[in-house]
Amino acid sequence: MLFLQQLRGELRKLFARPRSWMGYGAFFLMEALILFVYKLDGSQRHMRGLMERNGLEFGTYYSSLTITFTIMLVSMFLLGSIYFALVAGDIVAKENEDGNLRMVFARPVSRLRLLLVKYAAVSLYTFSFVFFVGISGYLMAVLALGRDGGLFVMEPRMKVFAAYPDWWDGAWRLLLAAAGIGVSMLTLSSLAFMFSCLKIKPAAATIITLTILFVDMILQGFPFFKPYESYFVTWRMSAWVFFMEPHLSWPKLVEAYAFLIGLDVSLFTLGWAAFQTRDFKT
Amino acid sequence: MLEARGLCKSFGGKPALDDFSFKVERGEIYGLLGHNGAGKSTTLGIILGMVMPDAGDVTIGGVSVRKDRSLALRKAGAIFEAPAFYDYLSGWHNLRILMGYSGGFDAAAARVIVERVGLTKRIHSKVRTYSHGMRQRLALAQALLPEPAVLLLDEPTDGLDPEGIKWFREFILQLRDERGMTVLFNSHLLGEVELMCDRVAILRDGKRVYEGAVGGLHDDAPLFDVDFEPWDGVPALLHAMGGERVAPGRIRLPPAADPALLVAALVGAGIRVRALAPVRRSLEDLYMEIHHGAAAN
Repeated sequence: MLFLQQLRGELRKLFARPRSWMGYGAFFLMEALILFVYKLDGSQRHMRGLMERNGLEFGTYYSSLTITFTIMLVSMFLLGSIYFALVAGDIVAKENEDGNLRMVFARPVSRLRLLLVKYAAVSLYTFSFVFFVGISGYLMAVLALGRDGGLFVMEPRMKVFAAYPDWWDGAWRLLLAAAGIGVSMLTLSSLAFMFSCLKIKPAAATIITLTILFVDMILQGFPFFKPYESYFVTWRMSAWVFFMEPHLSWPKLVEAYAFLIGLDVSLFTLGWAAFQTRDFKT
Repeated sequence: MLEARGLCKSFGGKPALDDFSFKVERGEIYGLLGHNGAGKSTTLGIILGMVMPDAGDVTIGGVSVRKDRSLALRKAGAIFEAPAFYDYLSGWHNLRILMGYSGGFDAAAARVIVERVGLTKRIHSKVRTYSHGMRQRLALAQALLPEPAVLLLDEPTDGLDPEGIKWFREFILQLRDERGMTVLFNSHLLGEVELMCDRVAILRDGKRVYEGAVGGLHDDAPLFDVDFEPWDGVPALLHAMGGERVAPGRIRLPPAADPALLVAALVGAGIRVRALAPVRRSLEDLYMEIHHGAAAN
């Protein structure tokens, strides 16, 4: 009960700051832009060609579900990561920089408890953001294209190809995928959170996190590293696409998410160990 | 109520505290004085568990901060110089959040405290709109809400106007009288320390160089401003009483000496006594003596 009260306080702080809403605004605009592009003839011709070459009917699969999937696929890593790193990188380091932490340290609360509350707030932010992108993207697509239609999925890098003509099948897979993206993005938030617990500036925590993510992503794209791609964090983070496969491969999914959750726990522990032994001078 | 034993702390090999011990009894106001970097804030940090000491420990109400920080701090409240609140939230929400970490928020109790510190009208305004004095009142409210037995004040009156300082002092003294609250007062304002504290410790380079009662400052060094004529016979009489001339027009007598006996002896020797007035030795004088003395050594 007390944990929930503390979590509510953390969430109040988190969502009272304009920087927490920047990502929501940016995605809203980007979704509107993507929808505008998809309404252009050239873009529709491209999609029609892609679908028809695969023996799929354009009228069934050029839908709000397909566009929602595309929005999440192309934008979450590149644009979403900035906001996750910003918020999670701030959550401890910024309070230390501003002097708020010493007010909290004057209370009878352990450092571990404090970090658990903050990590829970970051996790909720991460999941709420992912679901916001999915839901707002879908609603905007519905306004532009209507509710009906199936789901067409093509992700050559992860070798996933699927088509769900039934709306319910497609929506269910998209929901599973959104939960998967949430867990994937939590790894990024955990990395930024860990850096935030160190004795560094909040901006440094954000920048180092993004640097690690992008370096991992760039190296993963090198042909030399192709046999080792499963060792890259960003490859594991892309495992959410496996939720779109016609036959769910649970061993593959469990392996990927066990890796990510294990990494989250390790990052939290490292952050806590550094935070626990630090001196906070008044 | 509050006890520190053998506190030692170094930062990067540079000692910040060296075997510092003190004890504050229930209902006592204890002042901590010293130059910047003397170790006052480090002491406060150790008491709150924000700084890990290399050696030594602090107990609050008999509970060790090192062994059970959470339990020990249930009895403590703290106010810092320039308290850093969440500026983008209201004073009320700041209290809610901070009290969430002190066992829960009680809205009725909060309203009483807010009223008492005189913030009722502005408590729902964002803290960024508060003046420095209002922030200090909010700081006082957040420190008092958990009903602490020990209050730790770190330069709480810095930046306040004279009325604000007076209000703050009277409020703290009233709390002590009403609740028997124990207070550790860390300040640069020597006059304030003298007006508020029962005892003081002076720190220099992490070491305690003085500890004593504020009320007893005048007893251990009885100095007198004098005007005697002629002066020729005075040194012998002074010497006979164990006294000495410390400067032109100023003498020192031994602690137990009665100045009336000196006057009688001087008059008996035909020396005119135009003036003999005890010198009031302020905390500032003592502080300067200690610091200049230590610096000279």
